[in-house]
Amino acid sequence: MSPFEHDLRESLKRREPPQGFAESVLARASAMERPHGHIQFSRWLAVAALVVLMVGGIAASRVIQERRRQADGEKAKEQLIVALRITGSKLRLAHEKFSAIQQRTIELQSQQ
Amino acid sequence: MTKTDFESVVREHQGMVYSIACNFFHNAAIAEEIAQDVFLQLYERRRSVEAGSHCVAWLRRSTVHRCIDTLRRSSFRNEIQVDVLPEIPVDVPATDPFLQERLRRLVASLPETPRAVLVLRFGEDMDAEEIGRTLQMPVRTVWSHLQRATALIREKGARYLEEKEDEPVRTRSS
Repeated sequence: MSPFEHDLRESLKRREPPQGFAESVLARASAMERPHGHIQFSRWLAVAALVVLMVGGIAASRVIQERRRQADGEKAKEQLIVALRITGSKLRLAHEKFSAIQQRTIELQSQQ
Repeated sequence: MTKTDFESVVREHQGMVYSIACNFFHNAAIAEEIAQDVFLQLYERRRSVEAGSHCVAWLRRSTVHRCIDTLRRSSFRNEIQVDVLPEIPVDVPATDPFLQERLRRLVASLPETPRAVLVLRFGEDMDAEEIGRTLQMPVRTVWSHLQRATALIREKGARYLEEKEDEPVRTRSS
């Protein structure tokens, strides 16, 4: 080794960090642990809340759709019943008129 | 790596990590900050880094890369151009008490890669292959950086000694 290399080696030899360096690193590492766990928990909580919201939303929309379909069915049923009632009454009326006409025709034929 | 392992790694290798950063920047405050960051990064990745030689290599690599990144990000770059260095080496006698401080300053003023090579070679006593693995470069490139940087430091150191010899001796007038 040349004197220069020896000098360079001496210049760059190991130096100890300031007093309390290791303690400071270890304290920062333990401080890092807590928020890290907290953040992880919060992240999981947010994901869980999102999943619950999504599932709830889908279920609610399905229930609403089902109720709407039922209501539409009920309405159609009612309309059909009303239509059938109207048709029934009209048919009865027509039948009565037809019977009256038939009766009058028979009476006229007997008079002649 | 367990928490206990991490604690013993910090206590055992704090000098190594701090010295690499300190020799790289010639600045105790920056060196301390970098050393702390490196150990905290190790703590974050402690599950993937095994204790032992793998850990030492990881610490060296991370420290050097963090030093280089910090230097690249900082606006202040006090570098000497390696391309203009002379090829003729001059042996410098190791008698000047300020020479080592001068050498540290010169090393800290080199461009990032030769600086890292020099710090690992003379500070950490690593051979060219180890340096190549740490800095992810071919061994030939390591040798090239080493020779050019050493020659530059020799030249600057010798110039400093010449300047010192030329200085007139000042005496206090009575």
